[in-house]
Amino acid sequence: MSALATAPVALPAWAAELKNPPAHKLKPDSIPDPPGSPWASSQISTGSKVTAPPRKPPTPAEMDTLKLKKAWEVALGPIKSLPMTAIMMYMSGNSLQIFSIMMVYMAFKNPIMGILATNQAFERFETEGNRAKILQVKLAYVVMQLVALALGVWKVNSMGLLPTTRSDWLAWEAQRDVLEHAVPGL
Amino acid sequence: MRPPHNAPLTRLLTTALALLAHLPRPAQAVFRDEVGHTDYHHQLLGLPLRETTFFHRPRRDDRASLLYTLSDVGVVGAVNPGSGEVVWRQDAYLSPSSLLGGGGGAKGEEEREEEEEEGKEAGWGRFLRAGEGEGWVVSAFGRAVHAWDAVSGRSRFWVPLDGVVRDLEVMEMTESGPGRKDVLVLVEERGGASVLKRLSAEDGCVVWEWRELTRDLPLQVSTNVEKVFVVSLKGAPGAYNLKVSVLDTLTGRKLDEMVVGAKADVHGKEDVMFVGANSAAPIVAWTDDARTTLRVNVLGTKARQEFALPADTVAVEIHAPHLVQSDPHFLVHSRTATGHRGEVFHVDLKTNAVSKAYALPLLPGPGAFSTSSNGANVYFTRITDDEVILLSSQSHGVLARWPLKTGDSKASAVHAVSEVIKRAGAEDSYAVRAAAVTDADDWMLIRNGEAAWTRPEGMTGGVAATFAEIPESEDLARSLEQEAHSNPLEAYIHRVKRHIHDLQYLPAWLNAIPARVMSSILGTDVRSTAGKLERDSFGFHKLVVLATRRGMLYGLDVANNGRIVWKKRAFPIPKGRNWDVKGIQAHDSTGQVTILGSNDDVIVLQSDTGDIIEAKAPSRDATTQATALVDTSSGQHLIRIGRGGKIGELPVDRAPRQTVVTRGAEGELKGIVFVPNGNSSYESVSWTFSPPKGQRIVHIATRPAHDAVASIGRVLGDRRVKYKYLNPNTLVLAAINDETHVLTVYLLDTVSGQVLSAAKHDGVDSTKPIECAMAENWFVCTFFGQYALHDNSAQAVKGYQMVVSDLYESDEPNNRGPLGSAATASSSLEPLDVPTADGGVVRPAVVSQAYILSAPVSALQVTTTRQGITARQVLAYLPEAHGIAGLPRVVLEPRRPVGRDPTAAEAEEGLLRYQPAVEIDPKSVVTHERDVLGVRRIVTAPAVVESTCLVFAYGLVDIFGTRVAPSFLFDILGKGFSKATLVGTVLALLGGVLLLAPVVRRKQINMRWQAPM
Repeated sequence: MSALATAPVALPAWAAELKNPPAHKLKPDSIPDPPGSPWASSQISTGSKVTAPPRKPPTPAEMDTLKLKKAWEVALGPIKSLPMTAIMMYMSGNSLQIFSIMMVYMAFKNPIMGILATNQAFERFETEGNRAKILQVKLAYVVMQLVALALGVWKVNSMGLLPTTRSDWLAWEAQRDVLEHAVPGL
Repeated sequence: MRPPHNAPLTRLLTTALALLAHLPRPAQAVFRDEVGHTDYHHQLLGLPLRETTFFHRPRRDDRASLLYTLSDVGVVGAVNPGSGEVVWRQDAYLSPSSLLGGGGGAKGEEEREEEEEEGKEAGWGRFLRAGEGEGWVVSAFGRAVHAWDAVSGRSRFWVPLDGVVRDLEVMEMTESGPGRKDVLVLVEERGGASVLKRLSAEDGCVVWEWRELTRDLPLQVSTNVEKVFVVSLKGAPGAYNLKVSVLDTLTGRKLDEMVVGAKADVHGKEDVMFVGANSAAPIVAWTDDARTTLRVNVLGTKARQEFALPADTVAVEIHAPHLVQSDPHFLVHSRTATGHRGEVFHVDLKTNAVSKAYALPLLPGPGAFSTSSNGANVYFTRITDDEVILLSSQSHGVLARWPLKTGDSKASAVHAVSEVIKRAGAEDSYAVRAAAVTDADDWMLIRNGEAAWTRPEGMTGGVAATFAEIPESEDLARSLEQEAHSNPLEAYIHRVKRHIHDLQYLPAWLNAIPARVMSSILGTDVRSTAGKLERDSFGFHKLVVLATRRGMLYGLDVANNGRIVWKKRAFPIPKGRNWDVKGIQAHDSTGQVTILGSNDDVIVLQSDTGDIIEAKAPSRDATTQATALVDTSSGQHLIRIGRGGKIGELPVDRAPRQTVVTRGAEGELKGIVFVPNGNSSYESVSWTFSPPKGQRIVHIATRPAHDAVASIGRVLGDRRVKYKYLNPNTLVLAAINDETHVLTVYLLDTVSGQVLSAAKHDGVDSTKPIECAMAENWFVCTFFGQYALHDNSAQAVKGYQMVVSDLYESDEPNNRGPLGSAATASSSLEPLDVPTADGGVVRPAVVSQAYILSAPVSALQVTTTRQGITARQVLAYLPEAHGIAGLPRVVLEPRRPVGRDPTAAEAEEGLLRYQPAVEIDPKSVVTHERDVLGVRRIVTAPAVVESTCLVFAYGLVDIFGTRVAPSFLFDILGKGFSKATLVGTVLALLGGVLLLAPVVRRKQINMRWQAPM
């Protein structure tokens, strides 16, 4: 409001509001703040009620174990969804339809993206202390993604899209040249 | 699902399409809206003969008459004289097997067959007669008499005869009142007996029969109500006498016999010009060999009168009415080398004296006379090169005269029949319509001097035909050549200049765009090249050059309903002779067509205009046995192969590089290579194949000249590959043993002459056609066979069979056979100690299967497409159903599982369970409802679009052409595709977007403004 007073040109109200959004309105006193709201915290902390004793912050070693545990969960994540994916792939059949094509696409995209984003996935669990262990986890993660990828490859193969048979290379086989020629004159 | 048309086909797409093409699919059919659009049919009768063509009223009370003819190719038919359309037609010839019911020794059969062929072509007379006021016509050709309903063409009766018909006459009856007419048929039997039979016109039963066992040549039969006269030739060849036997009409008893004229008067059969019939005073007329005097005898008398013929007469014809009530007048038409004249004679009924009434002036051209009678009046119509003149037989006064207008084509009549109508009311008013055969082998109806219609009957009797590309503008070819030979800068400048020059055509092209777009959207059939000969992007627009045995050449426009673009007489072929074409080749680069005949004749002409570039008339002797299209160092040439398979020395630059396969003097097959020796090359026989003793070669089939192979293997259901045996140097040879009735089918290597494979078929009828066809890695053979099964002799197979054989490099899948992955293959000419051992000859693995067809087939041909991706069809003429069937290769598949259902993998491959009987599905008949008569050969050519194959069928009678798409039109939008809907949808969407865009934009802005804070 003071800005308005000192401004040499009177801006319309909406312009001023656009520039300086109005301050948060003070709530009426009759409505209590929800528990845990920042405004209420001071009141709570100063409240006379006896609360639980403050939790002891975990030690770095504990944190590392915790993080490692979490990291293992992330690493084994892909394998957990595999049975479901496998069933869906089996059910979707081997014909070339939009559904099975999408499934195959996803079956390839997810593991590859996962492998590429390995470091990002474990960044938050990585500390100075558990770096060596995290590396194991990462390897396990990559292996799991590869298993998922293998499922995709299996699917593609069962759809007949892999050039594994002789007929797939037939177009590149050349007809034999015949050295002599004959013409009929019958 | 139809891919867009004209899609560029890459290699990958090729394989995908190959898979598509081999999927099992519903039966092929010709759709109703394609009839007349993709196919064309010239319904022909053959060239009408003078003696067997007439106007006749099929219904007694109806004044409308039809034009009946029995043509030189043995088709009897009726034509509507008003429109020129065929009312009905029938094949007058009955095959000997259907007449005699088989039987007889093999040797006799064969001889008879040959005799039959000869007689059919030339020797036998053709007869067609109609009784005045009767609703039937009766024909005789060969060994049978056949009566037809005059209105519908249905068969009334037919009588097989043990001999060849020499004459046929309809006899006016007196004994059972008016309206009863019977048929007299004169037969020359095998033993030399002359038999005259009177057949009832009702059912063809014999009323009486007169038989005379002499060595006389029965010639003709004639009647004059009271008596029957049989004219025959007595004596030795070269010096005959005319003998007339007089018979009683009621009993057939011989009343009298007389020999007319002096000793050894008649030189041969053809000198007897005419024997009149059904006249009050029938005459017999003959000339001497030099055509200087005409001798006339009134039948029943002994007197002979002589009349001098004009000098230089080369041919004489006699025209007389065929009605009892007509005046006994006749006209003698004599032809000289340059002109023709006519003389009219009268016969005095009381004295039987013949007197000359008047003579008509000599006019240039061959001229045609025809007779028409109306009660007692007899009219003669004379058609000259520029006039139609109507005369009465009474006096030389001209009753009417019209200038002849035949349109743009100049044609002169060779012979004609006419109908004269005297108009009531005005005394001197006549109407004449004459059906004339012209010197261009057309049949033309001339109504009061104007051509009403023209039927191209000369297209019958086709002996050779080829597809030819429409020549591109020569200028373009020349400029391109010029550009190729100059330096790059000059070539560039030249090209820029040429393109600037081409800009003048831009406005016309732009103008044509709206019409093209509209026609394309509306689906109307506006041909962009209407009336113009121009190639189209689909490759459907081609020409067919057809040569006939009468020496005519035709250029047909395939895309415009087989329209005749040009017709030319190549050579004048004498009557009774045939133009024997041995080779025809179209050069697509120059637009020329070369035709080689057997008698050392050659003609080169322009395919789009028919202009003859080079011509050499046939010589007297047949010197050429066959021709071969060979590659030489100076390009491709059509070379002649002389009799006995001798080619002779050729200059080095014209000597073939390939082995030429031909027949030897003994009928054996041989390969000829050329060995250079200085400036010339001499021929050397590299191999000979003689079938084992007792076997006779009946048919030889080779792979077509254009036989593209898309894939070198067949993919099995389990994705393994069976490699095709693709040897271009192979041929299939069918040889039959007439004693044992065993047909042996050999597969020969044409470079080395080695037998690659042989198969035997028992119980094959050698008198029925045996034919083979070959393409890619398979061949089919069709024959009539009857034999007991080997594994179950109680069960016998009998019927028209088709045996199909596939050739593979090895029995095993994924195996390329003895040659392995070698990039080249060669056929060794070295002698082999053990020819069957491995390593000697690369022999194919053959898989065969036999099918029994529901109808006989002939003229086998395989469809061919540009890249060979499309599935194949075997095209075959159905001689009994008068159609052309396209048998899909999927049905004729030797790998179909026998006695069990196909496994999933086999089903995926498109194999059906083996069924021995193949019904010819009416849907697979490419001629659908058309009645296509007398096809002898079918030629195919690929179009630019892969799906389609052009087909042209010709032969003895009809011309038929169509396009077939054995795997459907997968690269063209069909007529069912609604472009209007597509464009409409796009436009509607565009309109919707344009309309809604401001609304949406406004709404979005409003939303932004009204957003709650």
